Amino acid sequence: MDDKGKKGKKVGADGLTKKERRALKVETEKSTEINKSSTIEKLSHPKKHVIPPPVSDNNKRVDPEQRTPAKSSSNVDTVKAVISQNTNRKDAEKSEKISAASELSKAELKAQRRAVQEAQRQAKASQKVVTNDNQTPKNNIRSNAAEPPKRISPKKDLEKSPTKHRVQLFHHLYIEDFQVQSLKKYTINKDIHPAFLQLGAQYLSRSILGSNARCLAMLSALKTLIDDFQTPPKQEFCRSLESTLKTSMNHLKTCRPFAVSMTNALRRFKFFLTQIDTNLTDGAKQSSLQKRIDKYIEEEIVIAGQAISNEVNKKISDNDIILIYGYSSLILQILIDAEKAGKKFRVIVLDGRPLLEGREMLRRLVCANIECSYLLINAVSFVMGRVTKVLLGAHALLANGYVMSRTGTAQVALVANSFKKPVLVCCETYKFCERVQTDSFVYNEIADPDKVVTVDVSEKSSYLLNWRNNNYLTPLNLMYDVTPSDFVTAVVTEIAVLPCTSVPVILRMRPVE
Amino acid sequence: MLEMELYSDVIKLISDIRHSKLHNSYDIAIHTEKLIEKLISEGKWNSAEDLMTLIKLRITRFANALPQEATSVNIMRHILKIIRDEYDSGFKNKGEGQQSAHHLGSTTMDDCEDYSKVLPSLKSSLLDNLAEYKVELESSADNIAAQALEHIHANEIILTVGKSSTVEKFLKYAAKSRKFQVVVVEAAPRFLGHLMASNLAKNNIETTVIPDSAVFAMMSRVNKVIIGTHTVLANGGLRAESGVHMVALAAKHYSIPIMVLAHMYKLSPMHLCSSEQDAFNICASPADVLPYSSGPLLDKVHVYNPVFDYVPPELVTLFISHQGGNAPSYVYRLLSELYHPDDQEL
Repeated sequence: MDDKGKKGKKVGADGLTKKERRALKVETEKSTEINKSSTIEKLSHPKKHVIPPPVSDNNKRVDPEQRTPAKSSSNVDTVKAVISQNTNRKDAEKSEKISAASELSKAELKAQRRAVQEAQRQAKASQKVVTNDNQTPKNNIRSNAAEPPKRISPKKDLEKSPTKHRVQLFHHLYIEDFQVQSLKKYTINKDIHPAFLQLGAQYLSRSILGSNARCLAMLSALKTLIDDFQTPPKQEFCRSLESTLKTSMNHLKTCRPFAVSMTNALRRFKFFLTQIDTNLTDGAKQSSLQKRIDKYIEEEIVIAGQAISNEVNKKISDNDIILIYGYSSLILQILIDAEKAGKKFRVIVLDGRPLLEGREMLRRLVCANIECSYLLINAVSFVMGRVTKVLLGAHALLANGYVMSRTGTAQVALVANSFKKPVLVCCETYKFCERVQTDSFVYNEIADPDKVVTVDVSEKSSYLLNWRNNNYLTPLNLMYDVTPSDFVTAVVTEIAVLPCTSVPVILRMRPVE
Repeated sequence: MLEMELYSDVIKLISDIRHSKLHNSYDIAIHTEKLIEKLISEGKWNSAEDLMTLIKLRITRFANALPQEATSVNIMRHILKIIRDEYDSGFKNKGEGQQSAHHLGSTTMDDCEDYSKVLPSLKSSLLDNLAEYKVELESSADNIAAQALEHIHANEIILTVGKSSTVEKFLKYAAKSRKFQVVVVEAAPRFLGHLMASNLAKNNIETTVIPDSAVFAMMSRVNKVIIGTHTVLANGGLRAESGVHMVALAAKHYSIPIMVLAHMYKLSPMHLCSSEQDAFNICASPADVLPYSSGPLLDKVHVYNPVFDYVPPELVTLFISHQGGNAPSYVYRLLSELYHPDDQEL
């Protein structure tokens, strides 16, 4: 990496080679195009666009990605990327139509905002490239290269000391050099479909968050893959597709461990593959597989969501004060449906650092004219006395009845339980999982510890900004926690309202694969 | 005008606290003690009664201005008790001498007399007593820290919330001879946990910082929760930093002991007035929760930033003061030793 970087040195000390940068660029630009297309099609929620982009973490999170492409070292690079962008645009648009229709949740709104910025930037950049090749790009490079090195430097520190700054208890969860390593993979692996490369980058940067959104994004990438797939000579379609799929999935796994929803969807897809009639032509197989995926999305996510929404809406009455935590596409849908049904209720949005997903939730609820309050999770006891119902989303339901969800959910459920308030967990059955787990340690995810240290809520800066200099100091950023089934009054699924402990019953009812 | 002059000392104290010149309760305690000491040595009073009225006026003045800041009032209240004791013993020394054994049961009965008689030696004996009290205040944190080794064993994982200088001292003291890990909850939106963590790490204590949301996830592996508090209420409950209640509940769920390090001046004869925390809490600026940059969204939502949490006594395992450990159920007794029953309601 270092020796190659010599050429790029004048550009920026971000430690990326030309190739890597190009790969990144292709991805970001593709994603932009996708988002544009989804912007057009998302007419069902026109209000979203009215709200200006917040100066909060959402934009910051995307920043590094946006900046890297602008730093390409030569004009040739930029031109190439523009060309590749054009070619990619077509298939990207095709693929995203489906997922846009089926509500891509949080990632969408964020992406839309990014799309606007990115589009403006690109309009400028491409103009310049086309009109005068020699001068303007350089200026562009200079202005961009001035800022980023600071941001990138922590990554290098991480490379130097991989074993320090790790919490003993979570040693098994750390991914080696976690960001750097998977960035390298972009160039190494050429047989991964660009749709998956892009998806990987989005998982890694956590710009697609939430298990529904992640699953939908994966399925739509899968459809793109099927669409573009050409059977190598003397091979059978399904077999070779499966092996290609495997490398793509491995790539995704290095970017971020799979969500339970994704694992389940993937397992079902592999089942489809085995079921397909081998006498069909490749084209027929492709369309049949895509239909199966569409059907899966429709049945397991869209209709299930509506069924759950109907069920929960029966429980919401006038003058209810509903407490929710963080962001959940399902909970959002439920509350919006309740509002549309003309119910008068209030929502208290609790939020937890460092993700602060609740702000997105708040923004969308306010757009839907729902009366909201907003607090951080430390104030949970302050408000719990007034609450009449607690609605929680879930990442997965485990076979022992425990609920795996975003960190903080367990705490909200605990406090609600101690105040004797009903806790409803809303979860589609496709997120049910055979695994059993009783603590939040064995299977979990560790996210970027720098996020804990950045204080974006107030103007003060944290005392921990240079935590890497002290070996005794370790910020810990856990993604999930596990809520014991005692705290949960009921789980609302599309099949029925159940006690947590009935999860294995549902699991047994599932079609055999 | 006259009133302003009369209370200039306490007004200054109030404004210092309001402007965060004195941010921890120890500073407030020391300043209050100095204030009263000055009042005794320089103020215009003849009898104990005069002096007590002067102090009581200051207490009401202070309590009205900063109802949530109990430390200062507690110090003054304890000094009232010292005055009463000195006055009593001043007269009793002439008469009967020491009375001790039956004192335990019936403090209320025998000293409800009038304090208007002039006792010439009162001033000097009070100043002596206050000097002693001041030493007690100053050494309190060290005395608490010195008990650390009785509570922390090797290889423990200890969880603490936000920042408390007493807890910091306690942990540093233990770290001199024992190795253990500390998990610091950052306590957003004030983020004092970050400061605490960096201070502990500088002392080579292995420190992990977690966001408030990860408390439940971490709790199952924690051995002890050690926290400071803002006030200890009369029933043994706490008025602590917001977020402590959920920590205490999580600890209770996993049956993990919670130790509260509290100076005696944090013990307050106050009861929680209602189960809803309105009367007892204050809300800080919501800008720390949702920044102004959120734009038009701010018009449409209610944002709260409560400062305190009420923690019921059944969630607390132990109070550790400079005198040693006590169960929450014993707080009432400590209170009756600290303050005169007539002074509990002012």
